[in-house]
Amino acid sequence: MATVVASRAVEIEMPEQASLWSDAWRRLRRNRLALVSTIYLVLLVAVALIALVWTPYRMSAIGIAPTYQGITSAHWLGVDSLGRDILSRLMVGTQVSLVVGLGTQVFVLLVGVPIGLAAGYYRGWFDNVVSLVINIFYGIPDVLVAMIMVFLLGPSLTNIIIAIVVTRWMDMARLVRGQALSLREREFIEAGRAAGAKPFKMLFGHILPNALGPIIVQATLGVPGAILFEAFLSFLGVGVQPPTPSWGSMAADGVRAIEFAPHIVIAPSIALSLTLIAFNFLGDGLRDALDPRSRR
Amino acid sequence: MASPILQVKHLKTHFPTHVGTVRAVDDVSFDLYPGETLGIVGESGSGKSITALSLLRLVPDPGRVVGGEILFKNEDLLKMSDEDVREVRGRDIAMIFQDPQSSLNPVLKVGFQIDEAMVAHGKPRSEAKKRTVDLLKRVRIPAAESRVNDFPHQLSGGMRQRAMIAMGLANAPQILIADEPTTALDVTVQAQILELLGDLNRELGTAIIMITHNMGVVAGLCSRVIVMYAGRIVEQGPVDTIFENPQHPYTWSLLRSVPRVDALRHDRLRSIEGIAPDLLRPPKGCRFHPRCPFRVEKCYTDEPELTMVAPDDLAACWVTMDRARKEMNADELVDIRPGAGSGYHKGDLA
Repeated sequence: MATVVASRAVEIEMPEQASLWSDAWRRLRRNRLALVSTIYLVLLVAVALIALVWTPYRMSAIGIAPTYQGITSAHWLGVDSLGRDILSRLMVGTQVSLVVGLGTQVFVLLVGVPIGLAAGYYRGWFDNVVSLVINIFYGIPDVLVAMIMVFLLGPSLTNIIIAIVVTRWMDMARLVRGQALSLREREFIEAGRAAGAKPFKMLFGHILPNALGPIIVQATLGVPGAILFEAFLSFLGVGVQPPTPSWGSMAADGVRAIEFAPHIVIAPSIALSLTLIAFNFLGDGLRDALDPRSRR
Repeated sequence: MASPILQVKHLKTHFPTHVGTVRAVDDVSFDLYPGETLGIVGESGSGKSITALSLLRLVPDPGRVVGGEILFKNEDLLKMSDEDVREVRGRDIAMIFQDPQSSLNPVLKVGFQIDEAMVAHGKPRSEAKKRTVDLLKRVRIPAAESRVNDFPHQLSGGMRQRAMIAMGLANAPQILIADEPTTALDVTVQAQILELLGDLNRELGTAIIMITHNMGVVAGLCSRVIVMYAGRIVEQGPVDTIFENPQHPYTWSLLRSVPRVDALRHDRLRSIEGIAPDLLRPPKGCRFHPRCPFRVEKCYTDEPELTMVAPDDLAACWVTMDRARKEMNADELVDIRPGAGSGYHKGDLA
C-alpha cells in the first residue's frame, strides 16, 4: 500500500516540475509524424550544408553523361536535358528552398510580430490603420505582385524573399494582433502597468512570451508556403536564375521531357512534396505540443 | 498630525458609453497620512476599485478622470506626464490585485517578475535578484531561494498573493493599494495575508489603502475607513468610531448585515433591500434614499454633503443614525425595508 501511495505522489509531481518548454518537447516526441518530420528536416538541413562543400558532380557541369539519361550507378537520379547530374542539382536546390523558406519567415516575424503586438496592445487609430493595410494586402493578387516585384527588382534570392514577405506577412501580423488583443485584458498586464513597466517591456516582456506558442506554429506552417511560392515562381521562370538550380526550375525543365524522361520532373517534385509535408506535420505537432489546453 | 502624503480632491472618473455617462467616481475627496491604513468599503459598483485605479491613472477604457486633483507629496498626478506617472507607479505607489492567479504572468518565473519590478525603476539586475530573495522571506514564503525559480502555477493561491505583495513592496513604496487582495483566497489564508499586511505596515511604515467589500477585513486591518456608495463617499472616520456608532444608514445597514456567529438561530440574515443604483441615472437627492429605511422628504430632492455629524465622523446624510435612533426606533428594527423605520409619511420629518 505504502509503495502505491509513493509512486502516485511521484506521478503527480512530475508534470509540476516540468517547465513549459520541456513539457512541449515531451508531447512533441510522442507525436510520431512530427518526430519523423523533424528527423527528415534535420537530414535536409545536413544535405544543404554538405552541398556547400561537396556534391557528387559540379551542379553546373554540362554533358557529363548523355542527355536525358535515366538512373545509373554513376548518376543515382539520372541527368537532365543538358546532361547535368540531377542529384547534385537537387542538393544545391535544397539550399535555395531552405533559405527561402526560413529566410522568409525570419522577415515575416520581424515585420509581423512588432506590428501585430503594437496594434493589438494599443488599439485605437494605429490598430485601425494596421487592420486596413492588412485587408488591402489580402485583397491584392499575391502571385501578380510577387512577379512584378521580381521583374522590377531583379530575380535575386534576396528579392524573391522580399517579394514573398510582402505578400505573406499579414497572417503573422493578424495572429499576433489577435493574441495581443486578448492578452491585454488579462490582469497581469494591468499589474505590470501598475508596477511601472515601460511600454516596450509590456509588449516584448509580457505579451510576446505568452503568444510565443501560436507564433512558432504560425512561422513553421508559413515555411512550406514560402518554399512552394518560390518553387512556383521558379517554375514560371521568374524565380532563381540559371545556373543556380531550384526545385521549381528543375521541375519546369523536366515537364518538357515528361513523356520520355519522367525522372527529371519526378526527383524535384518528390523532394518538394516531402519537404512541404514534413513542415506541415511539424507545425501541426507543435500546435498540439504548445497548446496548454491539450495537457496529456 | 503629519501632513497627508496623498490628497484626493473632488476626483471624478466617468465612463462615457453610447447610452450615457456612467459616473463611477463622482466627487470623491480624502486624505491619506504616512503609515496609515485606510479602508475603502462598498458594494460592487460603488466606485471603490475605480477610485483606486484612478490614483495610478490606470482607469480602463473608455473611462477618464474628468476632474479633481490627486496630490501625491503636493504634486498633482493628474497633471504629470505619462512618463512621470510611470515612474511613480510601483516606486512610490504600488498596487496589488484581487486575483493572484491571474495577476502574475504565467510564462515568467516568479523571481524574475519581482526582479523586473525593481529593474523597471533602475536597479541593476544583480542587486534586484538578491533583494527578491529577501522580499520573499519577508512575506514568509518558505524556501525562498528555490521558489524564485518557480512559475506562478507552481505556487498555491496564498503564496502567489504573498509573491504579489513582495512585488508591491519591492521598491519600498510609501503607499500600497490593495484591491480586494483576499477575496480570491480561502478564509485561513485570508487571515494570514491580512496579518502579513498589518505587520508590514507596522515594520516598514508603508501606508496601505485597502479596497474591500468585507467589513471584517476593515476591522482587522484598518485604522480609518471610507464608505462608498454609488460613486460617492457616504461616511468617513476612524474605524473604532464608525463601527461603534455609524451615522450613515448605509454604513449602519452594512454592519448589521454582517453575519454573526452569536446571533440567535432563528434570526434572519439581514440584507439591504433593493439593488445598487444605476450609475447612468443615479437617484435624485440622496443616492441611497430608495433603499433607506429612514428617509425623509428632503432625501428625495437634495443631495447631502459630507459633514461632521459626530466627533471625528463625516457622513453625508440628512437624518443620521443618532436621530434615527431617537425618533424612529432604529435599533429595534428587525425589518429594515425602506420605509419600515419611519413608516414614511410625506412631510413628517421634513
